Amino acid sequence: MFSFDRFRHFLTVKTLINPLDPTFPSVAVQLPAANWYEREVKDLLGLRPQGHPDPRPLVLHGDWPEDLHPLRKDFPLDQHAPRVQSREAFMRYDSEDVTEIPVGPIHAGIIEPGHFRFGAVGDTILHLDARLFFTHRGLEKASEGMPVQKALFLAERICGVCALSHSIAFAQAIERAGNVTIPPRADYLRTLFLELERLYNHIGDVGNICAGFGFAVGISQGARLKEELQQLNERITGHRYLRGVVSLGGMRADVTEQEREDIYQTLQYVKKEFKELVDLLLTHDIAINRMATTGILRLEHANDLEVVGVAARASGRSVDIRRDQPYAAYDRVHFHVPVYKEGDVLARIRVRIDEVFESFSIIKQLLQQLLDGDIRTNIPNLTPYRSAMGWCESPRGETVHWVMIGPNQTVYRYRVRSATYSNWPAVPLAVKGNIVPDFPLINKSFELCYACCDR
Amino acid sequence: MGWIIFVAFLQTATIICIAPFIQGIIKKTKARMQNRIGSSVLQPYYDLIKFMKKDAVLSLHSSWLSVATPYIVFVSIVTAGLFIPTYITNNGLSFMGDIILVVYLFGIARFFTAFSALDAGGSFGGMGSSREIALSAIAEPALLLAVFAVLLSSGTTKLPDLIASLTSDGWSWFSPSYGLAFFAMLIVLIAETGRIPVDNPDTHLELTMVHEGMLLEYSGRYLGLMMWAAQMKQLLLLSLFINLFFPWGIAASGNVSQIVLSFLLYVAKLVALGMLLAFIETMYAKIRLFKVPKLLGSSMILSLMAILLRVFE
Repeated sequence: MFSFDRFRHFLTVKTLINPLDPTFPSVAVQLPAANWYEREVKDLLGLRPQGHPDPRPLVLHGDWPEDLHPLRKDFPLDQHAPRVQSREAFMRYDSEDVTEIPVGPIHAGIIEPGHFRFGAVGDTILHLDARLFFTHRGLEKASEGMPVQKALFLAERICGVCALSHSIAFAQAIERAGNVTIPPRADYLRTLFLELERLYNHIGDVGNICAGFGFAVGISQGARLKEELQQLNERITGHRYLRGVVSLGGMRADVTEQEREDIYQTLQYVKKEFKELVDLLLTHDIAINRMATTGILRLEHANDLEVVGVAARASGRSVDIRRDQPYAAYDRVHFHVPVYKEGDVLARIRVRIDEVFESFSIIKQLLQQLLDGDIRTNIPNLTPYRSAMGWCESPRGETVHWVMIGPNQTVYRYRVRSATYSNWPAVPLAVKGNIVPDFPLINKSFELCYACCDR
Repeated sequence: MGWIIFVAFLQTATIICIAPFIQGIIKKTKARMQNRIGSSVLQPYYDLIKFMKKDAVLSLHSSWLSVATPYIVFVSIVTAGLFIPTYITNNGLSFMGDIILVVYLFGIARFFTAFSALDAGGSFGGMGSSREIALSAIAEPALLLAVFAVLLSSGTTKLPDLIASLTSDGWSWFSPSYGLAFFAMLIVLIAETGRIPVDNPDTHLELTMVHEGMLLEYSGRYLGLMMWAAQMKQLLLLSLFINLFFPWGIAASGNVSQIVLSFLLYVAKLVALGMLLAFIETMYAKIRLFKVPKLLGSSMILSLMAILLRVFE
């Protein structure tokens, strides 16, 4: 599936595969971005890419039997897989000067599991192997046969901090499959809540990045402002992480006149405080010193791996699906997509900071334009075996959901491509040549979530 | 003789007992400066009591070294405490040694901590100890130089003599070299207590740890002893700093009322200095690991200039 942003069209390449010999020619050498997708297809469906440069398993770990493919229809949901001798392999180093530093999958802080294996010379990183997918939940398998209304809740639970982006992407896919146009007010509300989600994420991330170099003022102010925004979310929708606000065909949560005023007041306050924090942070010598030139992701790498979201825009790759393939009410508001060329931690934090101010402006426009009217329409009977796609720019980048409808309003097949999935392969490239104690900072600046991969 | 034993006992008991309190003060101040309420200033005591009650889990790969190290570290720091004046000028063992011995006692503690971190073979312990040793190769001479810069004024390496001469000189002690030595010592103080911008005592990021990285393998009472020792070392460095630069009010004789007054003043100075450290820690961020030698280098240059000024006076 390719997106031609300039023409606002998608192009899908389909190929027939012989069921007796499920192989296909690999394109991972020509399109490095296809690397993970081909490995995943091999793990989950047993379609073998021919000539793939990396034969290691990706989603299923090495101790999963090689001939069991859970996404195949003949694999029952409750089947138990026996453990086999692990086939996991990491980069091997011949030199004695290289120290291997295994980190995780269990970490000291409260974060999700990921195993990182550094090959370091002294404190300088030579190579990083990142092993993810420790808690893959099989949500796509679980959704098969599930009524679409119920699957919406499943989509919402893919990730904690981009819950809304996932639910909207899923809802859009279903609405597109059913040829439904949602009421204009619902479009505006979706945009409004998506921007609220972006705000609490970006502001929280700016604070979190400060933890990478122990800047206490930044950490606590970031956490405090994020809390203000989450409390606002709770006042408006009843949920701090904006769950349960979307329904298929529109919205479940509406905004009253009073709540509109509340959003306006709270954001005014947060904007003022955030500006103070930004001024403090961007004039702090040590902070700038730690962030500048640290963890540079080069534009070639970003393009080759089709990196999306904040990381792409910080490396000079101007992609933003809100602008490139507008959805909800994004074609009715004005906003600017910040792009920086440096590709370092500082550029990534700057993109977030700029986007926070863009979000304030978008929300202001939305509050002015908000139309009266219905917030929901009904979803008609969906034609079985029709497939459709929904997309959304989550705080981490573009999130794409593809759904094939099954009989009786159920999901037949489902595939989620989150922003994190696109960006993880770029992290090992960005940390090369940096020092080991800078890794947490670089990792935080990408702010990738594990759950989005472990769907 | 009985007096000396009494003073030594008093000194040791004080150091052991108030070290966690100072840690609590620093933590509380930091919390307040970050808009947090923070835990009670007594929290470090509760933590230590909790650790002491708990059983320790040791790695199967570790040797006797891991068991012995907490005791060695604890004892060497307590011993060092007998050479550093706190609130009584003539402390326990000062007839036996001087500031150089103190530095080496700290060195023993550091050596064993770094060794035991390698003992269990964990990757973070190795990283922590290699960093600690690399940094201490510069931090130790910087500490010595800074102390020497002050000691030159009295021409002795014995701290009680220095303090006696400082307190009796009135205002004539002040000179530019003294000011330079003050800043040199402040930098060393931050580095040796493992605080921002050199190390981050509150971090959960194993990859960035220096001192905490070496303690990762410890648990229960061993961890308690190591933490207690670290708090005492912090207290001793603060005491050294206070008595090098603000010794006024320290009890020179055995008069009980004077000792009580001196003790109260000492605690007040400690609290003030602890708050200063917390303030610095909140204002600054951690610098890049490879910049730490430069920071310590600047401390050494300040000390050298202080010494030169003193020599040419």
